[in-house]
This record gives sequence, C-alpha cells and structure tokens, in this order.
Amino acid sequence: MNAWLGILLFLALAVAFGLLLGYAAVRFKVEGDPVVEIIDQKLPQTQCGQCGYPGCKPYAEALAKGEADVNLCIPGGEPTMLEIAEILKKDPKPMAAEATEPKPPMVALIDENLCIGCVLCIKACPVDAILGATKMMHTVIAKECTGCELCIPVCPVDCISMVTEEVSSKNWKWPQPNSVTRIPVEVKAVES
Amino acid sequence: MSTKTMRMSQLSHQFLTKLSAIVPLAKHWLYKFHGGIFPDYHKDLALKQPLRQGYMPKKLILPLQQHMGEPATACVKVGENVLKYQVIAQAIEPRSVPLHAPTSGKVVAIAPQPLPHASGVAEMAIVIEPDGLDEALTNPLQQDQLPPNNKQDPIAAFKHTILNAGVVGMGGAGFPSYAKLPNQPGLVKHLIINGAECEPFITCDDMLMQTHPAEILAGAHALATAFQIPNIIFAIESNKPNAIKAVRHAIAGQASNSVVKVQLVEVATVYPMGGQKQLIQELLGLEIPHNKHAIDIGIVMMNVATLRAIHHAINLGLPSVSRFVTVSGHGLKEPFNIETMIGTPFDELAMLAKPASSINYSLIMGGPMMGVRLVNNHVPVIKTTNCILANPPEPIHQAMACIRCGECAEVCPVNLLPQQLYWHAKAQEFDKTQDYKLFDCIECGCCAYVCPSHIPLVQYYRNAKAEIREQHAQAALAEQAKQRHEARLARIEREKLEREAKLAAKKAAVKAQAAEATPKKDVTAEPATTKLSAREKAMQAAKARQAAAAASSKKADSAAVKSEPAAPSAEDKRKAAMAAAKARAAAKQAKQAQQSDKKSATESVSVEDKRKAAMAAAKARAAAKKAQQESSDA
Repeated sequence: MNAWLGILLFLALAVAFGLLLGYAAVRFKVEGDPVVEIIDQKLPQTQCGQCGYPGCKPYAEALAKGEADVNLCIPGGEPTMLEIAEILKKDPKPMAAEATEPKPPMVALIDENLCIGCVLCIKACPVDAILGATKMMHTVIAKECTGCELCIPVCPVDCISMVTEEVSSKNWKWPQPNSVTRIPVEVKAVES
Repeated sequence: MSTKTMRMSQLSHQFLTKLSAIVPLAKHWLYKFHGGIFPDYHKDLALKQPLRQGYMPKKLILPLQQHMGEPATACVKVGENVLKYQVIAQAIEPRSVPLHAPTSGKVVAIAPQPLPHASGVAEMAIVIEPDGLDEALTNPLQQDQLPPNNKQDPIAAFKHTILNAGVVGMGGAGFPSYAKLPNQPGLVKHLIINGAECEPFITCDDMLMQTHPAEILAGAHALATAFQIPNIIFAIESNKPNAIKAVRHAIAGQASNSVVKVQLVEVATVYPMGGQKQLIQELLGLEIPHNKHAIDIGIVMMNVATLRAIHHAINLGLPSVSRFVTVSGHGLKEPFNIETMIGTPFDELAMLAKPASSINYSLIMGGPMMGVRLVNNHVPVIKTTNCILANPPEPIHQAMACIRCGECAEVCPVNLLPQQLYWHAKAQEFDKTQDYKLFDCIECGCCAYVCPSHIPLVQYYRNAKAEIREQHAQAALAEQAKQRHEARLARIEREKLEREAKLAAKKAAVKAQAAEATPKKDVTAEPATTKLSAREKAMQAAKARQAAAAASSKKADSAAVKSEPAAPSAEDKRKAAMAAAKARAAAKQAKQAQQSDKKSATESVSVEDKRKAAMAAAKARAAAKKAQQESSDA
C-alpha cells in the first residue's frame, strides 16, 4: 500500500513539474540567437569590411556560427578580440600587425577643389555619410563618418583623405597622472 | 526657529568654537556634512588692499564659449566698431548665451585664442581693442521690447532677460542661469545665496559682499518675486566677519519694503563648505540624490556674483560684462581684488599686483584646491574666473604607493571611498569606478590634500571621468552608425523591390495588351494558346497595335478629307464601342481559357499559366469597364 502511495506521489510530482517545464519552455522561449546581438554590440560598427564580411552584423553572425576567427576586427583591435573570445569561450588569437597599435579616430575629408562629382564614394559609404549629387561637389558629414576608409579606393581622382579630429576643450581629456606632471594641491607660505 | 533655541544653538556654537582651539576634533562637530579639511586660508593677502576698478587693458579677448553648453555665434566683423554692452555674439544654438562688448572699441580679430582651460587649447574668440572712450549703448537689453507672449508671463520674461544679458553661474561651473530655473512658479522652495567661498586665497565674493550687499539682495529679491520663492537663505562662512556685517546691515535696510525676509546664516569655516551639495546639507539637512540636481528637490542656489549680475540685468537692464576677480598668491607683492572687464588677460592683471620676481612660471586659474595650472599665461578672464593665483612652483612631492591609511575616506565630503576609486581608476577599470559612484565626486581635492603618499588622486578621477565620457560618446556613435547602416540596407532593399515591381507592372501591361489582341477563335479552338510564351504574346500585341495604328491613321486621313464636323465624334463613339467590344471579347476569352485550364488541370497546364491567365482576365475586365464608361460618356 505504502509503496503504491509513494509511486503515485512521485508520478503526480513528475507530471506537475513536467507541465511546469513545458509551460516555461513556451513562455520564456528565446527568439533567435542572442549571441549575434551580443557580439554585434561589442563591434565598433564602422561597417568597414576589413574582416572580410560585408559589415559588422554579418561578421557577428559568422562568429556565432563558428565560421570566422575572433581576431578579424581591425578597428576594434585587441580589446574587441578579447571581448569576442570571452563571449564565445574561445582562445584569444593574436591580431594582425596593423591592428596592434590603436589608431586615433579619423574621419574622411573630401578635397572639394578636386571632387568631380562622380557619386562613387556615395555608393561606397556604408552609413550614408557622404552628401552630393551627380556632377555636384560632394562632402562628408563628419559627425556620421565612421572612418571605415571604404570611400578612398573608389575615388577616381584621389580627393579623399583621412584626418584626425582636432583637440578642443570639449573632447580634451585629462591625462592619467604620472610622477612628472601633477597638479599642486598643497600650497605653503614662502618664508620671506 | 524660536529665539530660545536660536540662543541655545548660538551658545553651543560658541562653546564648540572655543573647544576646537584645544581639541582639533571638535571642529568637525560644527557642521553637518562628512569629512572636510581645514587648510591655511591666506585670505588676508588680497583683502589688505582696497578694491580696484577701472583698469583698461590694451586688448580684450572674448572667447565665444565661456559657459557650459554650446558656444555663442559671432555677429560682428573684423574692423567693426562696437559700443559697450553691444551684442557681439548671439545665442543661436540651444543652451548657449550671448556675449556683449565690455567696452567700446574696434574688433581687431575673430580667431582662435588660447583658453583659460587645463588643456590650453585655442578656440574661437573675438578680440576687441578698446578706444578708451567707454561709450555705452543705451537700453542694451531692450526690456520694453520683449516678445508679446513673454509680457504676460513674469517667469518667461525673467528668463528671457537673463538669457539676453548673458548671465551664467559665476561661482565656477558656468551653467547658463536661465537653464537652471524652472518654467513654473512655486516649484522652488528655497533660494540659497552662496557666500561661503571656502577655497583658500579667493576673496572676490567676500569683497563683493562688503562693497555691494544691497545689489546682491536686490538680485535675490527679483528672483524670489518672479518665481514666488518663500524662503531666502544667505549663507556666509564665519571667517568673513566684515561681509557678514555688511550683509546684515543691508538686510536691515531692505526688510521694511521687501516681501520675503532674507535669513542670514553664518556657517562654519571648513573646506568645501561652498560646494552646492555640502551647503544644502549644512543649511537644510537635505542630500541631493544621485544623478539629480538641486532644483529637483526644490532648491536654487546662486553665487553672490551671479545674483548681482541678475540684479544688473533685471533692475538696471545691463548685460553681464565685468566681474570681481582675486589676484593673489605668494609670488605677488600687492595682491588685490579687482572689478575687471571680461576678456582682461591674466598676465596683465598679475603684473598690476607687482610680482616679486618675473612671472616665468604658470599661473593658476581658481584656487589652490580645485584650480588648474595654465599652459599659457596670456589667457583672458572669463565669466567664471574667480581667482588668478601666482604661486611660484615648489618642489614637487614624488607620488608614492598608497599605504591604505584611509585618510582620504575620512575627509571625503560626499562619503565616497577615494582609495577604491583610485585603484580602479589607475587600473582603468571604469565600470568599477562607476560602481563606487565616481560621478558623485565633486573634485574638491580633500583626499589629495591629506594623502600622505602625495598621490594626485583628483587627476586620476578627472582622467577616469573623461575616459568614461569618451566611451559613452563612442558607444552612442557606434549605435548611430549601426542604425544608419541598417537604414541604408533597408533603403537598398526597398529600391530593389520597387524596381522589380515596376518591371513586373510593365510586363503585365504588355501581357494584357497581348490578351486583348489575341483572336477569340484561337482560344476556343484549342486551349493550347494559353501556353504561348509571354514573348510571343507581346509580339502579337505589338503587331495588333501597329495594325490598329495604321487603320486609325487611314480613318483619320479620310475623316480629314471629308472634313465633316460631326465625323470625329461619331468616329470616337465607334472607336470606343469597338474597344469595349474588344475588351469584352478578351475578358470572355480569358474566362474561357481559365475554364479550359480548369478542365485540363489534370493535364500539363502549369500553375504559372493559370496565374497569368487570371491576371490577364482581370486586366481585360478593367479595360472593358473603362471602355464602357468612355462609350457611355461619349
């Protein structure tokens, strides 16, 4: 009798938990592959294609599928590579030589005297940051430019160059102190 | 407070003050906030000299950005003569304030000039060469010409006037004053007049309170009247007895005719009593929550100099073109306070104070605690400059390793853990610095002042804050780039679809005409015609069109020869009727084709053909309807 009671009890529990799990699987179902989104968040979104994929998202998708190496993002450099390796639980790989030194953020600048208005750069720009029309002078919206350099090779007259942003009081950063320069915080009277 | 409790608190205060001479710890019982330090003040240096006025520099340098927010936009040209109080730069961007000429003269340059900023970068400024006449514009703010919707609303009019007068916070932060004030009356419960001035060496606010107490009070009353503020507290540190006396006298003189009585509070002398968060805690016992402003808890705090500028704007109609500046330091023989024009270069003012040796070292903007050493001494006084400090450089203490003594946490006035912040800032672990509330740090420098290892803690925090801000800015840019890229992809996809749809529509039109031209018997005779390729159909349609065109041109010719007036209309009618008939026939034909298709569905007729036939039928029906309408119209 007691043995049957035990069996019945556990059967009832099994059914109850089974239903609960079944409901939870439906209710809390994760749509799609969240890893792609997480990796995409970490990528610099320059859409430069230096990784061999046509943008940051396709690279993230390839990474999630395990088709791509973790060290392909050149603008992201080593920090991004480490983050991707961390997310995918893969071993970090050394970056290519050009990505080891961090580059200052740059934007494209069109020499407006040379521009012939061919619209080739407009088609190349992944973020629509170039403004212009056929046979009209083009210009780069510096605020929107990601510095991907995709417009440089397509220009037939080589009128695009990359420039660094000038230091102003708005983007100037306090340097981390070292032993040489420091702000005096204690002032003592001079004996006269 | 009743008189009895007030008397009690005064007595206990006096006792504690006396006790602190023997027991240094007792000093901390005189105020309510945590931490704080008691540095050497050296305030008597500049106070020994009377206030100076009327210095006319050779050139005035007026940076377009003297405040937080966006820079003003220059509205004068090089070579133009300007009058005193004339607007030389307008506030076009949001959160900007206009700039006025401090004296009459000629604009000699609009070019980048070194800024009084820790970076020493050069930014756009207007350089005026004074003509020495000091000719002023009459009614510079044109308060009688306010926008019509502002006239009814005293608050909008008030804010409009102080914006036009270019009033910004003159205590140091430089926040545009109009942006600090609410848009409705009754939201502000307390107006605190900040006369604490806790930083060593600086005495410009002290001097202002001694010389112009009535103007400060008039500014406070104007503000309190416009915003219906029920309570005004005037806080002065106890080490300024002359200022307290002058303000008390001025309050007594005003009390009879003012609505709100000003409460004068003498606060303990401790650094950083003048900080907004600290002074509010001392006076009202309230702490400003994380990520909130004083206005969120119903408090507006104004520096004495800002209130004087408000008085000038509201009551006298004058823009903000000058300020009190302390020129002090151990390197000067005659330190002084001066009321000087905005734009006066630092080095000229320092030369006036008779430097003990030539100033071949960099001056400090602000006080010794929070001020910054300048890269270039030829920078102008701006609206936020309160002090020019000439302290000859001293041997620099070598920063040593942190010994975890915990002194910094003892003195932090905002109850942070400076040591933890230091470790994480040094290791560039910015997430962790934010966990330790880095952004609540007011950069007062107490921790660095007491650090026995002479670690420049504040600079680590400033660096960490700048790095975090940059990271946030970059994340925002990346997000923007992502959105733009996605929008571009969506646009390309949409354009492709549109092109395809256009092509399909063209094809369908051709097909419909083909269906129109196909003779009826062909279809009825053998359903195999439905299998005709689209190309063949199009060719047939083209032929039919050609034939029709030839026929109609012949008919038209004959009609022209006959030149009968009624002929064209008759012709039209006939044409329309013919077209209608044709269309009806086509429709019927298509229907039949469909039916035959259905019959032979089991056979080899493809689904594709069915769809084509259905489409052709629909087209034909539409054409028939149109033709019918036309014929009925005719």
